[in-house]
Amino acid sequence: MKPLRAIIADDEELARQILREYLASESDIEIIAECPNGFEAVKAVNDLNPDVLFLDIQMPKLDGFEVLELIEPSVAVVFVTAFDQYAMKAFDAAAVDYLLKPFTADRMRASLQRVRTRAAKPGEANPEHPRNLKQASQRPGEYLERLVVKDGPRVHVIPIGRLDYAEAQDDYVALRSEGKTWLKQQTISSLEAALDARRFLRAHRSFLVNIERIARVEPNTKDTWLAVLRDGAKIPLSRAGYARFRELAGGE
Amino acid sequence: MHPLLQHWRRSLIYLAAWLELGIILGLVAATSGHIARLAGIALGVPMSLLLGFVCLTPYYVCRSVPLHPMAWRRMVQNLLLATVLASSVVILGGRFAAAALASEWPGLDTLFSAATPFLTVFIGLTYLLSIALHYAFHEIESSRRAEVLAREAQLKALKAQINPHFLFNSLNSISALTSVNPARAREMCIGLADFLRASLRLGERDTVPFSEELALTNMYLEVEQARFGKRLRLVRDIDPACNECDVPALLIQPLVENAVKHGIAMMAEGGDIFISGHRENNLLEFRVSNPFDPEAPGQARNGIGLRNVRARLEARYGAAGHMQIDATERNYQVTLTFPATTL
Repeated sequence: MKPLRAIIADDEELARQILREYLASESDIEIIAECPNGFEAVKAVNDLNPDVLFLDIQMPKLDGFEVLELIEPSVAVVFVTAFDQYAMKAFDAAAVDYLLKPFTADRMRASLQRVRTRAAKPGEANPEHPRNLKQASQRPGEYLERLVVKDGPRVHVIPIGRLDYAEAQDDYVALRSEGKTWLKQQTISSLEAALDARRFLRAHRSFLVNIERIARVEPNTKDTWLAVLRDGAKIPLSRAGYARFRELAGGE
Repeated sequence: MHPLLQHWRRSLIYLAAWLELGIILGLVAATSGHIARLAGIALGVPMSLLLGFVCLTPYYVCRSVPLHPMAWRRMVQNLLLATVLASSVVILGGRFAAAALASEWPGLDTLFSAATPFLTVFIGLTYLLSIALHYAFHEIESSRRAEVLAREAQLKALKAQINPHFLFNSLNSISALTSVNPARAREMCIGLADFLRASLRLGERDTVPFSEELALTNMYLEVEQARFGKRLRLVRDIDPACNECDVPALLIQPLVENAVKHGIAMMAEGGDIFISGHRENNLLEFRVSNPFDPEAPGQARNGIGLRNVRARLEARYGAAGHMQIDATERNYQVTLTFPATTL
């Protein structure tokens, strides 16, 4: 059997150490990288294309959910984390398996078995495409504070306050922030659901706008309006979008 | 006893209100022209005072007849019975007073008899009003008490909470150490046990000596240092004069935990945590300062523990307790100032 190539991503040395020890006694596993933070994990996965990624959730730079959003869905991910009841839902949906710290070598072997089973059937992808994982792990009333996008080999972080607007483009959303445009593979509806509706207005079927950026609203055609942003960009407002805007603006 | 009678000032105000009502009623009765003003007042005042006392009894009625829509029939029965009793007592008292006053103002007793039906209804309605007011106050009071109890319970629960993330990650570190460094694994295991035991013990108390709280904080930091290794560095500056002061239990340790969780744990390269305690002019000043990565994920969850610390500080010391947060771009500093009291 071809050995499985594994990457370990965890910020705690001892947490990496225990995985290293367990994996050393497996005959068909090769550890190809260890990463102490999220940035390095994304970089290593993209450079080395491993078969399996053992991924901690709480890490510096990028957390485990954000890492998952930024890597190829072909990589089998096993979450390795301490207890977090809200994250459980997300594990079930998107990871091959999850290990709760501390865990036994047997338990880890069972995870490897699931990884191998999946590898034997390459046609079958993850149960669900793990794009909106961060959002699934959120508590009610909590919203995304930042968006992560891939910028070539690097990762770019957009704090939500610096996002001007998002525009749907086929399978992607174009994110406009600080004079630049970033593409992210996500639907505009799922992005809308992850953001605070009091801060971001669904102006149009294809547009989501940061309310703070709107300088004024002017009529366009009979049933549509235009939101003019502070930097001069013009965003179409549908009839429904205009109604939502009036509601948010306090019915002025 | 009725809360109105528990303080003499309240009792006097209440008495004065009914005295005034008695005078007004006497004067109103005199406008009929059948009796002199003085006679009206002489009869009105004692009856009004008696009514005033009778109107305190709904305090007990409210407690024995709870508001319950399912048992409304029984409730109405009981309340009507109480009303009839109350009216009877006051009318009877009035009749005695009228008879006694008849020697001064002849015919007062017969006039009273003629007015009895009207007076009975008036007194009954007043009593019903008193019942309604008592129920309203009873509701307000019980909801306020429930609020206070819920708040206390919440604070207590938060105080005694041990962060499960910390616990499971520490156990994982111990698990990793067992094979590579059994001696350190044992040390860490005992360190964790010491911390858990101490925090359970302190959690049961409201007030502890500063030295104990600091010892708990150090036990916590020892475990975290095993987890984070060189990433967690400490600089301590504690004035020994602080040690004998009293502090609310588990007030300081959460601050340090915050500094580790949101500061050091989220920095790839780690950083220094400064912990200082000083005592000056009867004030104790405790400060925790840590660097943080402004671009770290999950900044939103910051501050729940701090809100709890502030709430407890205020509950304990009022305006004399103070929590100040100084955040710069890359450094977070929390300062607690509160009266330095000793046992």
